[in-house]
Amino acid sequence: MELIIILVVAAILGFWIAAIYNKLVTLKNRFENAFAQIEVQLKRRYDLIPNLVETAKGYMSHERETLEAVISARNQAMAGLQTAADAPGDPSAMQGLAGAEGLLGSAMGRLNVVMEAYPDLKANQNMMQLTEELTTTENKVAFARQGYNDQVTTYNIYRQSFPPILFANLFGHNNDAELLEFEDSTEIQAAPSISFT
Amino acid sequence: MNFFEAQDKAKRKTGQLTLLFGAAVFALVLLTNILVALALGFTGTQAGLSFSQTLASIPADSWLWISFGVIGIVTVASLYKYMSIQAGGRAIAEALGGTLIHQNIRDPKQRQLLNVVEEMAVASGVAVPPVYLINESSINAFAAGFGIDDAVIGINQGTLDCLTRAELQGVVAHEFSHILNGDTSINLRLMAILHGILFIGMLGYALGRAGGMSRRNGLALIAIGFGLLIVGYGGTFFGNMIKAAVSRQREYLADASAVQFTRDPSGIADALKKIGGAAAGSTMTHPAAAEISHMFFGAATVKLASSAMATHPPLEQRIRAIEPNWNGLFTESSTPPAGPGSSRQQQRSGTTGFAGLSGDTAVNTKVTPETIATHVGTLSDNSLGKAQQLIAGVSAGLTAAAHDPFEARALIYAMLIDSEPKLAQDQMTFIQHEAETGVAATVERLLPEVLQSDHCHLLTLLEMSIPALKELSRNQYRKFSQNTARLITADGHVAVFEWVLHRLLVKDLHPHFEGPQNLHGRIKTIRKVEDEAATLLSILASHSDTDASRQLAAYTAGASTLGIQRRFIQQHSFDYEQMNQSLGKLRQLKPLVKPILIKGCAATILADGQVSATEGALIQGIAATLDCPLPPSIYADSTITRAG
Repeated sequence: MELIIILVVAAILGFWIAAIYNKLVTLKNRFENAFAQIEVQLKRRYDLIPNLVETAKGYMSHERETLEAVISARNQAMAGLQTAADAPGDPSAMQGLAGAEGLLGSAMGRLNVVMEAYPDLKANQNMMQLTEELTTTENKVAFARQGYNDQVTTYNIYRQSFPPILFANLFGHNNDAELLEFEDSTEIQAAPSISFT
Repeated sequence: MNFFEAQDKAKRKTGQLTLLFGAAVFALVLLTNILVALALGFTGTQAGLSFSQTLASIPADSWLWISFGVIGIVTVASLYKYMSIQAGGRAIAEALGGTLIHQNIRDPKQRQLLNVVEEMAVASGVAVPPVYLINESSINAFAAGFGIDDAVIGINQGTLDCLTRAELQGVVAHEFSHILNGDTSINLRLMAILHGILFIGMLGYALGRAGGMSRRNGLALIAIGFGLLIVGYGGTFFGNMIKAAVSRQREYLADASAVQFTRDPSGIADALKKIGGAAAGSTMTHPAAAEISHMFFGAATVKLASSAMATHPPLEQRIRAIEPNWNGLFTESSTPPAGPGSSRQQQRSGTTGFAGLSGDTAVNTKVTPETIATHVGTLSDNSLGKAQQLIAGVSAGLTAAAHDPFEARALIYAMLIDSEPKLAQDQMTFIQHEAETGVAATVERLLPEVLQSDHCHLLTLLEMSIPALKELSRNQYRKFSQNTARLITADGHVAVFEWVLHRLLVKDLHPHFEGPQNLHGRIKTIRKVEDEAATLLSILASHSDTDASRQLAAYTAGASTLGIQRRFIQQHSFDYEQMNQSLGKLRQLKPLVKPILIKGCAATILADGQVSATEGALIQGIAATLDCPLPPSIYADSTITRAG
């Protein structure tokens, strides 16, 4: 009789632990999937930038350095994205991507400042369209990032809660996943807070 | 067999399966008791006691405990499995290591797949299901989900690589048939039940091993463990046989439906021939695939195709059922050119010649209440062509917006912007303050095109945007649904179109983010919900015409179809609360009663011989709430304007 009680209790316990394991896997899947959305948007952005530089070149041949800085920052960010996409949530990969994105952001910022001196370029139809598309893509990146960060937070909270924290290490979920924060995020993340009603 | 019969049958089949499960558990309990008795008796004889003496020395309530133990373990194991697939189709896709294909993907093959799925969904009047890509090189696909709302489709990479668009369409149509016929929900439940029985076997294995290590009653443990192993695996063996039998039957039906849906027998037949010709066939290598082998398009495990354990009929027989004159040769897989075939335009001219023809003739075929009710949940006649037309009728800009999680929200917001300038201004200000950066600008960009589109196209766009919206995080969804509600009520009342839009959104998205709701249809006759049905018809009739006497005629047409006696109550404005209340009750009708209700609604709408924009939108909202997917051919022919 004791054996049977022990068995049933063991079964319930076993399933309970398995459920925790499954939930951890599911939540990890979710944030990795959410990262793929950031990837889609960032890739689009990286595709747009060379076009923009190409268009700008025709007008500002004296600013080769600025343009080259943009391209090299873009290439770096692309490499950072590749690393991050291979391991979404990995702290060093995420920080690497955020850092590269920061550099790209400032290079683009310098380009914008320089462009002020070329009214013809700013009025160029192609240029206007590209700038517009870049802005939209940046908004989309911010939004996708918000979604990713939400999923990561859900995962981290679950991982740290009791009892999952007891098993998380055992199941290979040793560390919190890293949020993806960009430097300019204060402005973009101005999305209103949510009330749960 | 129509949609409602299939749904009803699926429900009853679940009942039968539960009975079968009960019988299996009973047998398990009995066998376990006998096994324990034998094992203990045997150890008793070793100690010098006689067999009956040993048994007599065991307290009587032990048997009760053993029985409870078995039942408890099986229940816990089944419940556990059931809980772990509570999330529905995506839980299955994730278990197989599938990755969600993002709606804004640009890879031509994946884009083509999404297009095919989208067309099929619009044609059958359901929300577009998310599509997962499974990293396997064999040709296979599956559909999973408890209902239509949580269904997902999974496609192997190999399927994408090897099949042409027409073949892909056949495969997707096959999977849609499983979703619409309720097969997917039977399959999920079957999986949970089988897990319970299988677990007894696994437990037996563990016990046997424990017995090997234990010194005291090791032999008894080994014996019990071995016994349980036999009982459990025996149970699983028979369970798998049942599973295979259920599955084999449904495969023929799904193949036949695929032909009916696409009106192109060669698509699915060619896909099957390619499976036969491919080295990997349809075999899945992922360990989780065995458990869900009954959900796939082709046999996922290598089993003798003719054996009782095969989840799928032999390929040859499936092909012959579609093409009786088949020469018996499989097709060697080759990679079809992806580029040109992926464009929608080319495909339309490329579909079987008569699809376009039937589109023309369909205008002449008279839509009757009868046809509307029989069309629910199937894809017949010209639905697919109609869906392709509808999707093509939407501007490229709006389609792209529907496929992007960021812009999809802006698209929905734009649909809710009022035509009255002052109000529209207020709504825009609200969006500027409450939505994320850039949303307001996107709304403004989309608005002109949205204003030019009619309601029918807008609702199609809404269904197309569902998978993108499902990619939001829960916080983002909550914010979105809050904003939507605020925009709808900005002018102080809820218009018909706004109500329909909200119904569709809630129906498609709520279960995904907040957990599925299990609804059991228990009400057997319309008579029990006469008041609610009368209210529903009154609302419909009041929106069918401006003239009171014609409204009454419309109501009477519907009421006589339903056989209800209540009097017509004219509605001067659209009262969404009353509508929701009535529908909340009517939702609980049994599947077989629902077509009568739909027929009644259709009779009211068609009393004047035509479907107006408002009527078309209303029936869409009603059908969606009642879980009756309505193909667009019913309402898309009507001349539709942007009406309140």
